[in-house]
Amino acid sequence: MSAAAWDIRHVDLSDGQPVVAANPRPLFVVFWWGVLPLGVKTYLPEQLPLRRSELATLTAELASAQLAARSPRFAGPARATYDGKPLLRVPVDTLQQCGDLLQQLDDVAETSPVSATPLTIIICTRDRPEALERCLTALMAQASHAGQIVVVDNSTHRSAAAVTAQFPDLDYVHEPRPGLSVARNAGVRASKGALFAFTDDDVEPSPSWTTEIVRAFSSTAVDAVTGLVLPARLDTPAQCHFQFKMGGFGSECVPLMFDRRFLDETKATGAQVWRIGAGANMAFRRSVFDRVGLFDERLGAGASGCSEDSELWYRLIASGGACLFEPRAFVLHHHREHWTELRRQVRAYMKGHVSALFVQAARHRHGGNIRRIFTQLPAYFARSAFWALRDGGGAPRFQILWDEMIGWLCGLQYAFRPRWRARPIDMPASAPPGQPARQSSL
Amino acid sequence: MAYRIVELELTEPLAPIALASGQDGVAVRARWKGRLAGFHMASAAPGHVFSTDEIQALCTKRFGRRLLALEVEAALAQRWPTDGNTPAPSLSIAICTKDRAQRLARLLDSLMPVIGASRFRATEVLVVDNASVDSATREAVGGFAGVGYVFEPRAGLDFARNAALCYATGDLLAFLDDDVVVDRDWLAGLFAAWQGCPDAGGFTGLVLPYRLDTEAQVQFELRGGFGRGFEPKTFHSASADNPLHPVGSGVIGAGCNMAFDRSLLLSLGGFDEALDTGAPLPGGGDLDIFYRVLRSGRTMVYEPRYAVYHEHRETLPQLRRQYWTWGLGFMAFLAKSRRSDPALNRKQSAILRWWLLDKLADLAVAACRLRFRELGFQTAELCGGIVGMAGEYDRSLKRVQKIREQAS
Repeated sequence: MSAAAWDIRHVDLSDGQPVVAANPRPLFVVFWWGVLPLGVKTYLPEQLPLRRSELATLTAELASAQLAARSPRFAGPARATYDGKPLLRVPVDTLQQCGDLLQQLDDVAETSPVSATPLTIIICTRDRPEALERCLTALMAQASHAGQIVVVDNSTHRSAAAVTAQFPDLDYVHEPRPGLSVARNAGVRASKGALFAFTDDDVEPSPSWTTEIVRAFSSTAVDAVTGLVLPARLDTPAQCHFQFKMGGFGSECVPLMFDRRFLDETKATGAQVWRIGAGANMAFRRSVFDRVGLFDERLGAGASGCSEDSELWYRLIASGGACLFEPRAFVLHHHREHWTELRRQVRAYMKGHVSALFVQAARHRHGGNIRRIFTQLPAYFARSAFWALRDGGGAPRFQILWDEMIGWLCGLQYAFRPRWRARPIDMPASAPPGQPARQSSL
Repeated sequence: MAYRIVELELTEPLAPIALASGQDGVAVRARWKGRLAGFHMASAAPGHVFSTDEIQALCTKRFGRRLLALEVEAALAQRWPTDGNTPAPSLSIAICTKDRAQRLARLLDSLMPVIGASRFRATEVLVVDNASVDSATREAVGGFAGVGYVFEPRAGLDFARNAALCYATGDLLAFLDDDVVVDRDWLAGLFAAWQGCPDAGGFTGLVLPYRLDTEAQVQFELRGGFGRGFEPKTFHSASADNPLHPVGSGVIGAGCNMAFDRSLLLSLGGFDEALDTGAPLPGGGDLDIFYRVLRSGRTMVYEPRYAVYHEHRETLPQLRRQYWTWGLGFMAFLAKSRRSDPALNRKQSAILRWWLLDKLADLAVAACRLRFRELGFQTAELCGGIVGMAGEYDRSLKRVQKIREQAS
């Protein structure tokens, strides 16, 4: 991925005459079948336009994965491998009478018929009023409005108040204690709905986001939902590096079920719970917080760095709950534009990751988390160094690797803080420590 | 060590598969409604009988997804009208052979019935006898009606291929090596590939094992063989997924089963006669021509239905030598393209570094795990590559020049 800037196209393949036209810049294409995301592909100008035969092969490959995972004739939501890939199973004997496959695809691509009223949306923001305005604008354009939208302002000087006041019917909560987990917990305490969806201020939810999340909860077995997070722009080297070299927030488009079995199969080397999704697009039932507690305020941006989301999923599946990754619930994320921001973020990610592993190991007595810190991660650094050397890619890749290693070293401090590790988790009923959150409806 | 090769039509009821006492596994070749859809090797104890349930489970695991994709593709063909009514081209099929009359006859036996159902405007078969020492090749060709025969006195595969280019008359020119047998859909597969992309510069196809009777043949196939998968692919002069493309042109296909727009080959000046010369440089010619087709701005299409069965090397020393020639041929090709195509020098250097580091890493892994046979293969390829880097292409140029002078 040597190119510095990519154009992003969304192509609906259910259209009778789909086209991926020639383009002077490299293309990041998101393929859809109606409202169903099918997959993501990248093309250089030399590879365009796509021929009908290429599109047919591609569509068949992508659509068959959707059918295998979604059509009631086949297996149903796929289970995930240890690294979050779908395990799709298509019994050969079912294929002879598989019926009209495109009709089945059209059926699973129907827009969600449910109302978003049971949903509370919680947006945590800190000193980014322009981004927040963009996010709120997207939320106002939802096909079905959420029952409640809570903006949690995590700034000291209420920098989000003015923007929030421009939009009707928003609940504004000011939580001056810094930390994303603290802010999210304040949002939970201020919420009325049965379902909570979280997003960040640097995100633009798609118009069907709220209804797709509510639909994803239609099975009572599902306690938490995550969705697809795709790049809004790929204009700078930092954004492209994050998306292509680091995998972005994932581009898997097949629904996946993460449950106790996923944890049991993978916990020996540290279950890769961060594969479940991203905090920029996640939702929970209210009962989850009552059962396993709130976000861990030691973790997350503003505290140890990140992984407060994946730690909550870990707690949830360890208690027997299930998370569904449902790519139909789809948002666009504005990646960090500047290289220095990305580097800072990478350090925070790795430090937060290590801290969450310590927390998980202490809470659940799962030694795999410690094994991950001291064997899997160093092995990953060695592999990354070899790949960077072998594939070329020069200084940027080594810089990011360096930042990951620094983040890992910073995370090791938690090994020497037993009292930090032993802290219990907050429950929604208990009053937050320190200053109580002030709520004011605007 | 041997594997039993079984072809299964998965729309029909399955039957148990019994291994003989000398067989260490089964290689399943799956068809779906007649179309090749998958290949998988499963090991088992000699004498093991695979029950229908076992086979069913294996097929579900290995082929289910692909079969569903085939069904979706068939449904899409109804919804998406095909564009264009380009008249069918004519085709020449060239078989370059040297002193292997029996294998040539075997190939022609498989090819002649396939040609009967050709949808090309015209189809001719041309055998290029590459300096065979006796008349057995000519006599073998004589046994088949309508097969042309050309004698090329200069020994070297690319001399023979260029001779075919000179004598062929078809719009498309398909090449087959004499150590393959064609699948019953071979020609239909090539036609389908052409229909999908009528302006492609070239086509490559699937290469499956003809038999897996010796340790070397099984090892070669288990290490990847010539397999390029069961999904059609289109290659352009650059790829978003692979920054080194098209320098690593080996992913496109194999020289034993390839076809080109003949006029494009002529305008490119044909094959490089200093590559694929037979010993001492028996490789690189296919990589070079794929690379030049892509660099000319035309696409290459890989189509799995356009399939052949290849007789793999029988003995382990022969197999090691094959890996040696892969390293040698690749480096000779790279040395040549560094000179002839300086615009891509950065990619060429990058792939050199990639190749060396990758091979060294594989070598280290094989050594740490005490896999001595694997170590032998890896060493052979690496050493071949090093010899290739050390001026093999220039030496070959001189040898070829001498052959030309002797012939004239």
